[in-house]
Amino acid sequence: MTSNTASVTAALHVPEGAVRDHHPGELVVDVHPDAILDLTDRVSQQLGGRLLSLFATDDRARTGAFGVHQVWSLPQRQTFLRLSASIDPAAPSFPSIAQKHPAANWFEREVMDFFGVRPDGHPNPTRVALHDDWPGGARALRKDFPDDSQVPREPGDRHPFRPVTGEGVFQVPVGPVHAGIIEPGHFRFGVAGEPVLYLQVRLFYVHKGIEKRFERLPWRHGLFLAESISGDTAVGHALAYAHAIERLANVEVPPRAQALRVVLLELERIYNHTADIGALATDVAFTVSASRAQALREGLLRANDRVFGTRLLRGTVALGGVKRDLQPEDREALRSALRAFEKEFDSLIALLVDSGTFTDRVDGTGILTNQAARDLGIVGVAARASGIDADMRRDHPHDAYEDLLFKVPVEDGGDVRARLMVRAREVEQSLVILHQVLDRLPDTPCAAPVPDHLPPGASALGWVEAWRGPCTHWVATDERGEVARVKVTDPSFLNWPGLVHAVPGNIVPDFPVINKSFNLSYSGNDR
Amino acid sequence: MIGLILKSIRTGALTEANPFGRHAAFGFPVMDFSRCTACGECVRACPTGAIHATQPSPGRGIVSLSYAACIQCRACVAACPEQAISVSPEIEVCAHSREQLSRSASFDVDPVTGMGTFRQIEPGAGPGLADAAATLKARIHGRLGRSLQVRQVDAGSCNGCELEIAATTNPVYDLERFGIHFVASPRHADALLVTGPVTRNMEIALRRTYEATPEPRVVVAVGACGCSGGIFGEGTYAAIGGVDRVLPVDVYIPGCPPRPQAILNGLLVAMGVREARAGGESAAPPPG
Repeated sequence: MTSNTASVTAALHVPEGAVRDHHPGELVVDVHPDAILDLTDRVSQQLGGRLLSLFATDDRARTGAFGVHQVWSLPQRQTFLRLSASIDPAAPSFPSIAQKHPAANWFEREVMDFFGVRPDGHPNPTRVALHDDWPGGARALRKDFPDDSQVPREPGDRHPFRPVTGEGVFQVPVGPVHAGIIEPGHFRFGVAGEPVLYLQVRLFYVHKGIEKRFERLPWRHGLFLAESISGDTAVGHALAYAHAIERLANVEVPPRAQALRVVLLELERIYNHTADIGALATDVAFTVSASRAQALREGLLRANDRVFGTRLLRGTVALGGVKRDLQPEDREALRSALRAFEKEFDSLIALLVDSGTFTDRVDGTGILTNQAARDLGIVGVAARASGIDADMRRDHPHDAYEDLLFKVPVEDGGDVRARLMVRAREVEQSLVILHQVLDRLPDTPCAAPVPDHLPPGASALGWVEAWRGPCTHWVATDERGEVARVKVTDPSFLNWPGLVHAVPGNIVPDFPVINKSFNLSYSGNDR
Repeated sequence: MIGLILKSIRTGALTEANPFGRHAAFGFPVMDFSRCTACGECVRACPTGAIHATQPSPGRGIVSLSYAACIQCRACVAACPEQAISVSPEIEVCAHSREQLSRSASFDVDPVTGMGTFRQIEPGAGPGLADAAATLKARIHGRLGRSLQVRQVDAGSCNGCELEIAATTNPVYDLERFGIHFVASPRHADALLVTGPVTRNMEIALRRTYEATPEPRVVVAVGACGCSGGIFGEGTYAAIGGVDRVLPVDVYIPGCPPRPQAILNGLLVAMGVREARAGGESAAPPPG
């Protein structure tokens, strides 16, 4: 038993042996549904746990029950803890933790939508993922629901939005088709003149059935599906999936591949952060800076293309390593592209923060307080901009991060400016990381062989701190070693409630810039 | 302010005079059917069913490769034991139908070994590129002139196509100089640029957007998903599939995602300014 296992066992007051070492850095406790509430309180209070995912599995064919699982990050112990409960299909419900842990809110409702397993005591047990024309009773992620089912639409398409009353108070509906080149979602603002009273968000317009699709595709092809969970996080999700498969199959990724994965992940971070900074400039009509940022981003994508043969870094991650090694001349090309970028990027940030017309729009706009961010379980850039010092690259090191020196930038403001500054400082740190890695690439193969078959009846968690925040993939296999379930958690799913919280009190014209400062993925959320 | 002006002067023009003709390390796979033995390795390697094989009758096999579904993952290239699949650097690929993006060949299949011997390239179904272009031109003739107002609709995309569509507006590609402009409302649009494996939850919004667009509306499908459903498939509980399952499509721009210049090229094809090239021509076997 490791020291982690012992201390977690003690903190949870569970009998010895109840906490199992599942994989390195991953503990599992099987719990009785009645004990969920007490245990989650202890995980959160005694162990400083942060909820990363909550999902169900349909194990009726194997065990005769559904499973409901929570995945917690225990950053002080560099460990993940999964609490798993068996749920009787005759009375498919489980105790909700959403009242005390609002991060569980959407997760639990999604379990209800896709499995028909109800969260008892949930403060708002309504649909989150299913649209109003989806018939009750059709449970898409149950095993007896074929993935090609053609489900008829229920008549009527009026969603019961929260009503507004009072003189001069009205609603502004926006979307799902937006005015810009962005993803679809519906926003409904309750406004009194310019100020927003509240914001309701209706998502899942781009729900593609990705988790079901994983169960249909051969597990090797799942990597391509992972790359398409969120187009701007191709490396992040591909790596999270690859990590899960490698842990399942006990594949040791060679050091050079681990280093190159860091390169890919940081290149993805830089191009996205640069684009986001430019988008903030666009949304306050600061066109000179917006154009500079767009040109810088284009330069990065072209460097990606030259070195890896792909602009958005798709097709670079392999199960067991990376698909393509970095040749010495590629390394030099990358270095010089990064040096050119670095100089220009510094001047872009100076241009923004030295401009009063820009800072006027971003200072104090869209504040997400530290308390709200903690309560909602916000992650990634948005969390670090609200004073939460969390980054899986340091707290749960993956790939080569354990051996690298870097800082985790944290800001306290919680406003648009803070989210901008976290991005800007993270780009600086990414450059520090990239130069370290490129200076000393280990001399090993860039991929390890992956066995032909995955072990049957096994499961593992894969995680990555991608540019937006943590991406996790939990993969379980069936008795034939094929994929039985993949639970994908994009940081956007945890962070959308943060946006909803940050907008009220601001004026409608500031919504675009607040929204952009979070820049959450719709596709990653909806899957 | 002075700093801003100096910065702009020092930066100068970043726009590429001719954004076309740039080749990529990897465009689409090209199959040399004359070397193919219809062994099926590439079919098993392909994650989207872009390559598939059928046996219409005993002793006869058909192998086909469709760019509409290809996500350019290169798995087929590595899988082929005959090295019959190579990579084409060409990326400005588009067409007026799914069939035009497909190449098929027939094989005589040995009943004992199951191996195929190349017989001939099968003719594609439906009208060719030139005929389809003429039909489109006749429909939009005199109406759209030399500009195209475009409403982009994400009908289920992963956002990859949106990133590259947005890149066409950056200072390097600057699509507005070609008379193309993205507009905020379908009522202002001549064309819809649609991405994604149209989801069940976007189908109604997509249809309504189309209905709000004035005639003669042109529909351009972008990406492997928009052209065929891509990696997400067609006819699942959540994804209907390619845009043509919901709307009539005039131009297909394949790729995962297509690069900015391929999107720009497709839009110019939709305007009747450029001619479509469906790629893969070298797939035809050398004569003799």
